[in-house]
Amino acid sequence: MGVGPSGAPRAAPRALLLILTLLLAAAVPAAGQSTRSASPEADSGGEVTLRVGIQQEFDSLNPFLGFSLASTSVFRLIYPTLTTYGAEDFSVVPELATDWKSSADKLSWTFHIRQGVHWSDGEPVTAGDVAYTFNRMMDDPAAATANGNYVEGFTSVTAPDDRTVVIRTTSPQATMRSIAVPIVPEHVWSSVDDVAEFANQRMPIVGNGPFIATEYRPQQFLTLRANEDFWRGTPNVDRLRFVNFENSDAAVQALRKGEIDVVRDLTPTQFDALRGAENIRRVRGKGRRFYEIVLNPGAANSAGEPIGTGHPALRDPRVRRAIDRAIDREVLVERVLGGYGTVGAGYLPPIFEDYYWTPPPRARRPFSIESANRALDEAGYPRGPDGARHGPAGRPLDFEFVLHGDSSTDALVGEFVKEWLSRLGIRVRLRPVSDNQVNQRTTAGDFDMVVSGWSVNPDPDYVLRLQTCGARPKPGGGGLPDSFLCDRRYDELYARQLAEFDHSERVELVERAQRRFHRMATGLILFYPNALEAYRSDRFAGFMLQPTEGGVITAQQGYWGYYRARPTEQARAASGGAGYRSAAFVIVGVALLGAVVLASVAARRRRTAEHRE
Amino acid sequence: MSAPPNPTGAAGRRLAALAEGWRVYRADRGGLFGLAVLSLVVVLALLAPVLTPPAELDVTRAGGAPLRPPSAENWLGTDESGRSVLLLTWWGARMSLLVGLSAAVLSMLIGTVVGLVAAHFGGWVSTLLLRLTDFFLVLPALVLAIALSTVLSRGVLTIVLAIGVTSWPQTARLVRAQTLTVETRPYIERARALGGGHRHLLGKHVLPAVLPLVFATTTLTVASAIIAESTLSFLGLGDPAMISWGSMLKSAMDTGAVTAGAWWYLLPPGLGIAVVVLSFTLCGRVLETVLNPRLRGERR
Amino acid sequence: MTDTRDEFETSAASTGPPPLLRFVAAKAGGGVVSLFLVAVLGFFLFRVLPGDPARTMTRSTPVSAEQLAALRHRFGLDQPLYLQFRDFVIDLLHGDLGTSYIYNRPVAELILERVGPTVLLVGTATVLAVLVGLWMGARAAWHQGGPVDRWFTSVGLTLWSVPTFWLGLLALMAFGVGVGPLPGLFPVAGMSSANVPAGVVPHVLDVAHHLVLPCLTLVAVIYAQFMMVMRTSLLEEMGAEYLTTARAKGLREDLVRRRHAVPNALLPTVTLIFLHLGLVVAGAITVETVFSWPGLGLLTYEALRVPDLPLLQGTFIVLAGSVIVMNVLAELVYRLLDPRVRDS
Repeated sequence: MGVGPSGAPRAAPRALLLILTLLLAAAVPAAGQSTRSASPEADSGGEVTLRVGIQQEFDSLNPFLGFSLASTSVFRLIYPTLTTYGAEDFSVVPELATDWKSSADKLSWTFHIRQGVHWSDGEPVTAGDVAYTFNRMMDDPAAATANGNYVEGFTSVTAPDDRTVVIRTTSPQATMRSIAVPIVPEHVWSSVDDVAEFANQRMPIVGNGPFIATEYRPQQFLTLRANEDFWRGTPNVDRLRFVNFENSDAAVQALRKGEIDVVRDLTPTQFDALRGAENIRRVRGKGRRFYEIVLNPGAANSAGEPIGTGHPALRDPRVRRAIDRAIDREVLVERVLGGYGTVGAGYLPPIFEDYYWTPPPRARRPFSIESANRALDEAGYPRGPDGARHGPAGRPLDFEFVLHGDSSTDALVGEFVKEWLSRLGIRVRLRPVSDNQVNQRTTAGDFDMVVSGWSVNPDPDYVLRLQTCGARPKPGGGGLPDSFLCDRRYDELYARQLAEFDHSERVELVERAQRRFHRMATGLILFYPNALEAYRSDRFAGFMLQPTEGGVITAQQGYWGYYRARPTEQARAASGGAGYRSAAFVIVGVALLGAVVLASVAARRRRTAEHRE
Repeated sequence: MSAPPNPTGAAGRRLAALAEGWRVYRADRGGLFGLAVLSLVVVLALLAPVLTPPAELDVTRAGGAPLRPPSAENWLGTDESGRSVLLLTWWGARMSLLVGLSAAVLSMLIGTVVGLVAAHFGGWVSTLLLRLTDFFLVLPALVLAIALSTVLSRGVLTIVLAIGVTSWPQTARLVRAQTLTVETRPYIERARALGGGHRHLLGKHVLPAVLPLVFATTTLTVASAIIAESTLSFLGLGDPAMISWGSMLKSAMDTGAVTAGAWWYLLPPGLGIAVVVLSFTLCGRVLETVLNPRLRGERR
Repeated sequence: MTDTRDEFETSAASTGPPPLLRFVAAKAGGGVVSLFLVAVLGFFLFRVLPGDPARTMTRSTPVSAEQLAALRHRFGLDQPLYLQFRDFVIDLLHGDLGTSYIYNRPVAELILERVGPTVLLVGTATVLAVLVGLWMGARAAWHQGGPVDRWFTSVGLTLWSVPTFWLGLLALMAFGVGVGPLPGLFPVAGMSSANVPAGVVPHVLDVAHHLVLPCLTLVAVIYAQFMMVMRTSLLEEMGAEYLTTARAKGLREDLVRRRHAVPNALLPTVTLIFLHLGLVVAGAITVETVFSWPGLGLLTYEALRVPDLPLLQGTFIVLAGSVIVMNVLAELVYRLLDPRVRDS
């Protein structure tokens, strides 16, 4: 570029240099930063912070409003519940209630409240707080936003004394032992007039649990400190912090760099990529979700009037069962989930060993295109001259398959199903739409096939109810149907399991309900995806998983994972070498770049000077 | 421009203009490069079904191992379903080009009609159209396109529509300015005096004079439309089953290719976009120079 | 790029030179009308589509039909469209943009929180891109046709042809994650680390550290347009007569350029920069998405995935609105500063 003096404005290159220098300066904190992050938290005195990367927002810190998994898992940490699920096998164990019993008519439940438990502001936790919480939900519609379903069958909740709560219900409910409603302090919440507008963000949040929320920056992080007065004992870590990440890739990188300790919701690719990574251990847990395809069995509303646009052929269970035979679940688990999942069976996922049910050999419908074809031939859906099957009335079997547009899982499943059904002479048109539209079309019955899936609680009542006649939408809209199965025998089994207080009897009834659901084939359970997590093994020796076999750290129905995290000596000593190397690289890089810049400036000065002479 | 010594009427004049245009075009190396690359890409894209087995794009039949680095078997590695990235990029070119071209054509149609009408008819129609054009001109196109594709059902058509409907104002302004200039020329006056109707005037005289410029702008619009398509797909607004460069990058990001260090999955589609967009831009710039003598004068 | 200037001149010529005040009033009035149009567009675009956000809000958690109905009522989804529109306009005038489905908080509040980071990112990137662009544009125009010009132009055009998000992904992979022996030098996501010691200086350094990659990505993609604008206007300027006069007066060539040509070319360039802000906004959406930068662009993306209609509507109105306001300002500034337009 020895074209002579640069005629361009002098100020510009200088400004450019300045900016470049500033940028480089900005890179310098990388050095300091990573050295610091090696001594995590700048914790003094050997304090340990457990940092968990999450990819979901806290939709609200108000326990009456928050729906998201992120929020509900925090509520479990900062508010008490009457009972909780044990870490070993999801059995119901005492929490705030030390014991409970039901009356002879099964309509009245008495809970005894633990003594000597205090809210974080020093006030005692009493039966009055419990009664207040439930009554508020029953009286104030806004307070019923998130957990209203739990109090639906309640007639009254009273506190005869400070240690006793009595709940009366309209009908016998086996679910009463597992009411996952966060109990709030009456002396704080009674002054909240409008629950719907209350963000509950005044820190620290008055609660009672293993942790106390102390600092919240929306969409960035939520910090909790250990509750030293927790009745079960102080947690092993001193602080717990949930750090928001917009995508799991960013969270994985942060884990690799040691910026966080636990990451969840990994994709199979990410999970595989972390294999053998230094100081990182992976946890492959069974998931609580099932993934299903709903076949519209002739949707109807709660008045029994047909709604929606379902294909008439799908009302025939023989067609639905034939479709089921044409889906190779093994292949789906292998190709869609990368092998990280369990092949779909009855209904409830295998993480809940008690209720998990697989069809016995003679009820099973193994993958076989031939037998599916034969079944359709026999059922009276012949192939036309072009190979396409049509119904008795001549209408071709041409199904619209509604998918979640932003889900790559749905896209893949759609492609596979489309291909397999084409071998049956059934045409499938894939319709990827937004989540809102999937929901809307599901509720309105405007689909032939649609992807659905639910997270299952340790108590299966809720997901079982989805398939009852009662779940069908009301004529005016609303309702929460899943597969529009409205079957007398299924409903009867559902009602019996709800009223059955004996565990093994109830398990038997739940299995029979699943058998019926499988037989009707309105929802084809494809698989149960694994929950994939990973953590820093240099900072944590392990976590208490739930359940013990094949369990997870973060997505628990309880606080065990965080509460019983086991920091390593290294984490306690707050020393580690992870960051130094990259710091050195940064310093060298900055120095090199600086040298280049300086050299070019010098050269330019000289050239200009020469020209001026 | 030296007048060619060929007085044999309109056809001859056009031919001569064409030859002159090509001469100017040829002088620009960037333009030639762009044209060559584009021709190659278009030919390859058209021949994709002939040269490659489409069955291998079918996820249900893909046999390879997922996310493998380049090897002798798969020159550009595989994606998360075990499909060849080379094959995907090749087929992705078809969709990206198709969407880019259709969106640009749609945008050109809207822009030309609005511009012509606004310039030719005047009055309140013109005022209204001008205001509308100004409004859409300042509206951030991507934001509006995002809104549109959220609302409409997912698919190629939606993307084309979203891009086309948001990118026409520039064309409209250009066409309007050009039409205003053309309509002051004597021969238009003459045609008008001879009783030529609107249709005749616009179709026979104005449009032919305006079209070359529109063509040049459209070439540039294709470039931005291809980028817009990839951006919309990347934001998850495309049809996930459709293979385009944008949707490839979206899948790469979703499956965690960045974490896995799967550069072979990220590079090809992005390079494809860059090369094609650059080529369209280069061609468009030269075409502008060729077809807009005023600009040519300036650049000299 | 020259078209816009034509437009300025023709519109000024066709309506005759109005008094300044009238011009300002007209422009501001036009801006207000545009803003209102944006609001109307925002409302209808996002309301006409079918969908049941109430179920999305509950994220498949156990809720009863009554709870869903209560949610629909709370968000006004059970009302007829014209009533919804009336409420929307009234609320909008009060600065209320509705309540987000996913965050369960007022949209206006969410947007206010995110404005800062976006302004920081977009502002820094624009300033950098303008400086780099203007400087390079000037150099290119100076050495028109020379190797500098060719290099600057082709590099600029190439970067301009690259999708912003792709460049971001590559930067993320190379400098955030690290390739081969190279470790990740920069943070991969967000605006600040949680584990930075208290204090202003560490915090500023931390944010600056996070800013580097997204900012450079944005700069790389947008500087080219500023460069080309500057190059073109300077080339036009260099043909002007007064430069010949200045040269004739015996001024040194670089002085002529620095004192006369560049300042005159700067004015139209700087005002044109405002007209290209829409593209910067577009770039910000994708860059913020790739780097999880907690700004308006990321908020838009988050809203998109659901889709959270009130939030989308809010970001749409705010993003489009701010670009419109910027444009009105740019036209006013141009009008006030440019001697040719002012005196005509």
